[in-house]
Amino acid sequence: MEKYDLPLIKNEYDIVIVGAGPAGSLAAREASKRGASVLMIDRRKELGAPVRCGEGLGLKHVTNMGIKLSPQAISANINGARVIAPNLKDDIIIKTPETKGFVLDRKVFDKDLAKDAGRAGAEIAVKCEAYDVIKEGSAVKGIKYIFNGKKGEVKAKVVIAADGAESVIARLAGMRDATSTLYDTDYGFEYEMVNVKLQDNGQDYSDLIEIFFGREWAPRGYNWIFPKGPDSANVGVGIGGLEAPNAIHYLHKWMSADGVKHRFAKAVPVAYKGGAIPVGAPVKEFVMDGFMVVGTAAHQVDPIHGGGIGLAMNAGRIAGTVAAECVKDGKTNAPALNKYKEQWYNEEWKKFSKRLMLRKVLEKLSDDDLNHIISNLDQKDIDLTLAGDFKPVVQKVLLKRPQLLKVLTVLVNL
Amino acid sequence: MAVVIDRSKCIYCGACVATCPYLALRLKETYVEVIPEKCTECQLCIKACPVGCISLPGKDNESKR
Repeated sequence: MEKYDLPLIKNEYDIVIVGAGPAGSLAAREASKRGASVLMIDRRKELGAPVRCGEGLGLKHVTNMGIKLSPQAISANINGARVIAPNLKDDIIIKTPETKGFVLDRKVFDKDLAKDAGRAGAEIAVKCEAYDVIKEGSAVKGIKYIFNGKKGEVKAKVVIAADGAESVIARLAGMRDATSTLYDTDYGFEYEMVNVKLQDNGQDYSDLIEIFFGREWAPRGYNWIFPKGPDSANVGVGIGGLEAPNAIHYLHKWMSADGVKHRFAKAVPVAYKGGAIPVGAPVKEFVMDGFMVVGTAAHQVDPIHGGGIGLAMNAGRIAGTVAAECVKDGKTNAPALNKYKEQWYNEEWKKFSKRLMLRKVLEKLSDDDLNHIISNLDQKDIDLTLAGDFKPVVQKVLLKRPQLLKVLTVLVNL
Repeated sequence: MAVVIDRSKCIYCGACVATCPYLALRLKETYVEVIPEKCTECQLCIKACPVGCISLPGKDNESKR
């Protein structure tokens, strides 16, 4: 047997992907499957860690992406969502095929996705940090990296930036709007805890993700309890970037509030997680000559719940496919690569734009409004709303709150 | 001058890195690197930090955040 050594990074690949999260790994898998030579690099020594995420993922994303979840990747099976009013009393419970899903163990999940990419033929280098992009004129030609203490350069026909919220690669390439702004970003902090009471009001909530709204508890965001097991959960908060002082302050305030504090009486953290969550519109351009940006790096994050895994995987899948096709055609300039953006808009924009609008509406509602709305909705209202028919609910709310007319009209027109 | 990050408090989540318009912060494996010559002291990172571990020496922001 020859002496083992670390993987050798060649001087050139068809496609180089920076970041081995869900977006990067799906892009690597799809591009490799289509015969492109692919290198995927990641700064971290262990993919999936550290986790900085609520770890929720809808079942439909798993099905659509053709992923087989290993049992170890699933922390809890989820059947629905419980939305709690700012008064911490009134709630609605939503159970539909849309709300079926999982709370994942991202450390396992992300690594599994990377392994799939490796099996499809992608070369992978961990503990390999991209510190600059190589540009010629307006075109991206490769990246500069440092890998296990050695600096190097690698050329690529297409560089795909999948480096998460920091989006350093896209910004080095010249996409200024990939910077997160305080206005369009939520900042999150989360404990993974044991001894969390997932039962309350005589009910079992261990198969529900729980979402708590309220300006007092999470201005321009929400608090959450995502079960990670019978007595464990991710307990977190996201707040708007313009809110002071910071996320952890609001998390502690909410965890100390009457109405929820009994659920954390014996809880202790086993992990701290946090991060920036871009909840505004995606970046304006998804491609440049020889360059694509995918996932949270492209601000492809659900504007309402801040989830990014599903959107990231789909963007990665599309981008990887398009990149491989463009390489095959010998045309990797921006107009050719832009097929990725077109397809993404075809598949995602209708829903995404509605949810951007809904976010604007939610931001205008006071705690009092939310208490009123949540306490007055019955199951039929919820079903109609989920089916996309906001009219009956809006009418019901307006009967008692005519002052909300302006805010809520937009929902009727969605 | 540049911002200072208390590494004993930092969870290296990268929120500050995402928010810095000047790429003066870079996320490493277990810490955030400050590149002092790029820092403009705009303090956006201080507002972004979810755990309040960034400060600007000489400015009264440590008690607030």
